[in-house]
Amino acid sequence: MKVKTRSLPVSYRLAVTSRVLAAVVGGYVVAALASVSLTMWLPMPRAEAVVTGMMTSFLVYLCAVLWCFACRSAWQAWLGVIVPSGVLAALSGVAYWLGQS
Amino acid sequence: MLLALMLCYGGFTALCLSMDRHHTELLGHKPSVRRRHSLKIAGWILLALSLWAAVSKTGWSLGLVEWSAVLMLSALVLVLLLPYRPRLALSLAGLSLLASPVAAFA
Amino acid sequence: MKDGFRQAMAWLHTWTGLIFGWLLFAIFLTGTLAYFKDEISHWMQPEIPARSVSSEASLALAQDYLQQHAPGASRWLIDLPSAREPGLSVRWQQLPAKQGERGQFTEKRLDPQTGTEVQGRETRGGEFFYRFHFQLQMPYPWGRWLSTIAAMVMFIGLITGIITHKKIFKDFFTFRPRKGQRSWLDGHNAVGVLVLPFHLMITYSSLVIFMSMVMPASILASYKGDVRAFFDDVFPASSVPELAGKPGQLAPMAPLLERAREQWSGGRVQRLTVNNPGDANASVVLVRDGADRVVHDVSSAVTFNGVTGQLLSSTPQQPVAMAIAGSFYGLHMGRFASPVVRWLYFIFGLASTALIGTGLVIWLGKRQLKHAKSAVMPFELRLVEVLNIASMSGLTVAVAAFFWANRLLPVEMTNRSDWEVNSFFIVWGLSVIHAMVRRGRSAWVEQLALAAFLFCAVPLLNALTTPYHLGTTLPQGDWMMAGFDLACLVSGLFLAWAAWKMQRSGQVPVATRQRAKPITLEREAN
Repeated sequence: MKVKTRSLPVSYRLAVTSRVLAAVVGGYVVAALASVSLTMWLPMPRAEAVVTGMMTSFLVYLCAVLWCFACRSAWQAWLGVIVPSGVLAALSGVAYWLGQS
Repeated sequence: MLLALMLCYGGFTALCLSMDRHHTELLGHKPSVRRRHSLKIAGWILLALSLWAAVSKTGWSLGLVEWSAVLMLSALVLVLLLPYRPRLALSLAGLSLLASPVAAFA
Repeated sequence: MKDGFRQAMAWLHTWTGLIFGWLLFAIFLTGTLAYFKDEISHWMQPEIPARSVSSEASLALAQDYLQQHAPGASRWLIDLPSAREPGLSVRWQQLPAKQGERGQFTEKRLDPQTGTEVQGRETRGGEFFYRFHFQLQMPYPWGRWLSTIAAMVMFIGLITGIITHKKIFKDFFTFRPRKGQRSWLDGHNAVGVLVLPFHLMITYSSLVIFMSMVMPASILASYKGDVRAFFDDVFPASSVPELAGKPGQLAPMAPLLERAREQWSGGRVQRLTVNNPGDANASVVLVRDGADRVVHDVSSAVTFNGVTGQLLSSTPQQPVAMAIAGSFYGLHMGRFASPVVRWLYFIFGLASTALIGTGLVIWLGKRQLKHAKSAVMPFELRLVEVLNIASMSGLTVAVAAFFWANRLLPVEMTNRSDWEVNSFFIVWGLSVIHAMVRRGRSAWVEQLALAAFLFCAVPLLNALTTPYHLGTTLPQGDWMMAGFDLACLVSGLFLAWAAWKMQRSGQVPVATRQRAKPITLEREAN
């Protein structure tokens, strides 16, 4: 990741920007979906589940951000954010549907 | 809280001395394997005792808070003293350990 | 691959630390000051006496006052005196003109002994620092969003810092002064590792405090958009009984204090809220003093019918999740802290501030060494240098200016509290300009020296402008006032020392400075 040239190539800057977006925006989405999933699935009264979900969401956000910069490419960063989002969204959806019926 | 502070400070000093580099800096020679082990054990025991001292007086919630505070303070004091006043750092540790039984029963 | 991971984390640590470092320094410095906000407010309104009176007596006086001055209000709020806040303050809220709007609030300070209004000089006092550190003088809710984002970045900075610090156990006790950049890094690591529990606690708790605002997804999903219902579940005491429409005579409230204490097996009442005081269904909500325990219990309130004295609701058992959130809240606020523990909060807060400050200095110092030979610094580095100076030494000068403005601005001046705050920002702005026109080292020395002078002179300024100076407060044992003067003096001395060190390091011959080994974070990670 460390480039020693005088001015950094555009491709590098694009890659960094991409990772930052994945981390900031994607990370938030993963964290929010994680909090929703937890809230829906935890066997506690509603208010407690919500509070628990919100409190743990920041740890999820942290992991997402670290992943986005630790992985080998910007593409992997986005993958690492989109796939969990999908899974969590599905989990939340199932819980919601179960709650409805 | 004073007792917990003294035990913490003593414990950290012991743990510090159990490291080759610091033992050499402070006492002039590398510690033997036995000394290193006993210092490590002593250090951890003192830290555990300080936790007991903090919690037994004020209960778990306030006790844990005071213990963490005392832990951080004693570590800061030790690390600040070490490069400037190493002998004071060591004598404070000795004094703390001597004074602890007094503080415990006062 | 492990090294690649560490390097990536080092990169992240370096850049998040730089971009948010200036803001975080300001947040942490003002937040640290906020631990003594009551004491600061007391110094800034020295005319208001600090007298301890029983809660029952103060409550009776407050009730009389409100009955006289605000009988038709929709809500009364009474804040009882405590050890740190000896004032008795009452607020009342008028019925809002339109449905859904907030009614207008009026606030008065009362003398707890006589019940008459007290007029101290108009000032924001310590509340300014408290509010600034999470609202950043920005309109609601932008300031809170920005400070919470900064908190998340701080959290990332802390974790990446831990990951990057390879020799975290080996170097636990290591601090090597007088070695240039090496010492700055040792200091940064020491203050980071040794006070780590505090840094992590304060950072994560600040996220928890605003979590309903920044992470509302689970509330919306679980309560199907009914946010009000969520808050009613979490704060059960906030629901107000319906207006009866019939007039009712409010019974004396002082006996309710004892009944609340019975509910809590001890403890103190900090605040009473009277809903619809003139109505037959008037309710009195007694809220427990946050200083009673570490865990903040938002549901720790007892509600009585104001006319009949009937117990309407009391503290339910706090669920585990709420207790955890309450612990974060309580630990962050530190309301439970005794004077000794409060000073420790202050010291550790300064440590967090120093962690950020040393990081900023190291960031620049490392890169400055590469350009030491050339006369002109590249623009980016010069920008960082100006921001470093203004956000650190400039901020301390601004804090001193805030206190000076409090003593120098005329007491009768209109909007004087606004002008005290303006002084803070004007001086801070001037420090930016000063840092732009002066060379780096000179700017540092001059600003630190100015801050040192201003702080050291506070006790003198106090003596020249009020009768509540060290000459009278020390013999009287008024430790709140004397403590402030002495703390300013000590801070001034520290800043003077810093200015002197800065001046001296500039006089070291260039050859020696070049020899100081540049330490790179990447090499550290290896």
